[in-house]
Amino acid sequence: MSTLEMLALMIIVVVLLVWRISWLASRVQRATTRAERAWITLDAALVGRAQRAADLVMLPGIDPATALLVLDAAAAALEPDLCRGERERAESDLSHVLDTVDPMLPASPSELASERARASICRRLHNDAVATALSLRRRYTVRILRLAGHTDEPRPFEMADGSICTLTAGPPDSPPSSLAYVRPAGYAAEPRAPAVGEAGQPS
Amino acid sequence: MTDPRRSLRIGMVCPYSFDVPGGVQNHVLGLARYLRQAGHRPYVLAPGELGPSAAALDLEDFASVGAAMPVPYNGSVARVNFGPLSAARVCRWLRNGKFDLIHIHEPITPSISLLALWAAEQPVVATFHIATPRSRSMQLAGGVLRAAIEKIDAGIAVSESARNVVVQHLGRDAVVIPNGIRFDDFGKRPISGSPRPSQQPRLVFIGRLDEPRKGLEVLLAAVPLIRQTHPNLEVIIAGQGSRPIPSWCRSLGTITNEAKIALLGSADVFVAPQLARESFGIVLLEAMASGAQIVASDLPSFVDLLGPPRDERRLGEVFPVGDHRALARAVLQVLHYANPLRKARAQQAARSYDWSSVGTAVLATYRAALSAAPTGRMREAIG
Repeated sequence: MSTLEMLALMIIVVVLLVWRISWLASRVQRATTRAERAWITLDAALVGRAQRAADLVMLPGIDPATALLVLDAAAAALEPDLCRGERERAESDLSHVLDTVDPMLPASPSELASERARASICRRLHNDAVATALSLRRRYTVRILRLAGHTDEPRPFEMADGSICTLTAGPPDSPPSSLAYVRPAGYAAEPRAPAVGEAGQPS
Repeated sequence: MTDPRRSLRIGMVCPYSFDVPGGVQNHVLGLARYLRQAGHRPYVLAPGELGPSAAALDLEDFASVGAAMPVPYNGSVARVNFGPLSAARVCRWLRNGKFDLIHIHEPITPSISLLALWAAEQPVVATFHIATPRSRSMQLAGGVLRAAIEKIDAGIAVSESARNVVVQHLGRDAVVIPNGIRFDDFGKRPISGSPRPSQQPRLVFIGRLDEPRKGLEVLLAAVPLIRQTHPNLEVIIAGQGSRPIPSWCRSLGTITNEAKIALLGSADVFVAPQLARESFGIVLLEAMASGAQIVASDLPSFVDLLGPPRDERRLGEVFPVGDHRALARAVLQVLHYANPLRKARAQQAARSYDWSSVGTAVLATYRAALSAAPTGRMREAIG
């Protein structure tokens, strides 16, 4: 092989390598951006949920003790400058309080139910985006070449969603939903033996 | 943040041909109808031609990628499109549609869904229908298609078991939003009282007759055992395909949606004996909404819907997959003791799968995906 051919081969290899690395970098950037934007979305959804919860005190016929309990939890969640751990705890507490007072309310406003369901959807999408970004950022190539740049590592947001009611747009008399992302507690998936027909099937 | 009231242009991609009926196709049409009613503009790209039954969609909002080719896939015959010609059509549709969002159904199948996922520059929502624990494509997808899977901004799984597949094989997560039904079509029958004299109970099966995994074989083996106690048992089966059928069984062939509504409305017992790979029991839900008693095999997706066996709040009887004796026992049990309370609960449960609830959840996911999706994404980021 002549020197010229060697050179040409090396150039091709280098070009392919650079192309591959820049491709990976753009994937990292996309995943990181999504995680960041998903956090903004989740943050807004959580604020919306706390505000709707605070609105409960205006509900006609609500007793002052319940109102105080809800307002306290909502205010704690809306507190500015909470660190991640404190925010997670405050939002979980709000979920528990809402679950507890829900059966005692004179009427359950559908806006609150929608906000709760929305927050739950946003949280799952956020944590999914974070997991995708993290798995990319932990790759060897990405770490060695610092393809993630100086952006902070995203973190999942862990909180209790509580027992969420349906997104209410249905008929007013519709019962509590059994939509699976808001599964009733009793129907948690039990460990199952593989079904007979599935194990032996060619797939 | 997007304005929550803005009308969205949504491009939906269905991998399976509209020439044949199917669960995913019906789901796409049902969702399109809901989205239109909610003031949005859904467009559909799929193989095949739109049948006259699809009143949910204007003809100009439907784009075909041409006739689908039947190929063996995942243990059954899938009618899908692939190849450079299809890819070019998908790209043109994506470019000309000016969509705010692409909703891809069953993205990890060798079909236009994967092509669309590959080429999409818009925010992508993907719905996973499959709930097979051993889907080979899903396992491969983990490695080879990782970059494509990363493009999904929001995943939707139609059941917990479908979500498990996504989590295990793709390393992603998904919001669980079940398939929708039009409850008002089915829920007309009063809960109490059988529509016909109970001396002649009617047992109904709906599903492809010539596909073994639909489990008609198991049902036909069980019927003689049931007829020992109920000699007047009426057995009606409906579905595409042909096969030899015993004389005591009436086959209606392929039926229209109206006929299906009527048939389910007249059923005393609805049997779902499927053997495997049922992602979501939509007919089961429709039967529940119609007020029929349910007997189903214990596939994960059915158990998800009905509740575990021996649970007091279960909405129907389940039996071990493929066990015709257990099926017969379960049918005898529901015929012997018609439980109106359970019927009422099943109907209530089915109501929560009405498009008004399910569609709202899908729209909420669209909004979340739109505000989380990276904007101005680079096309070369993938190809």
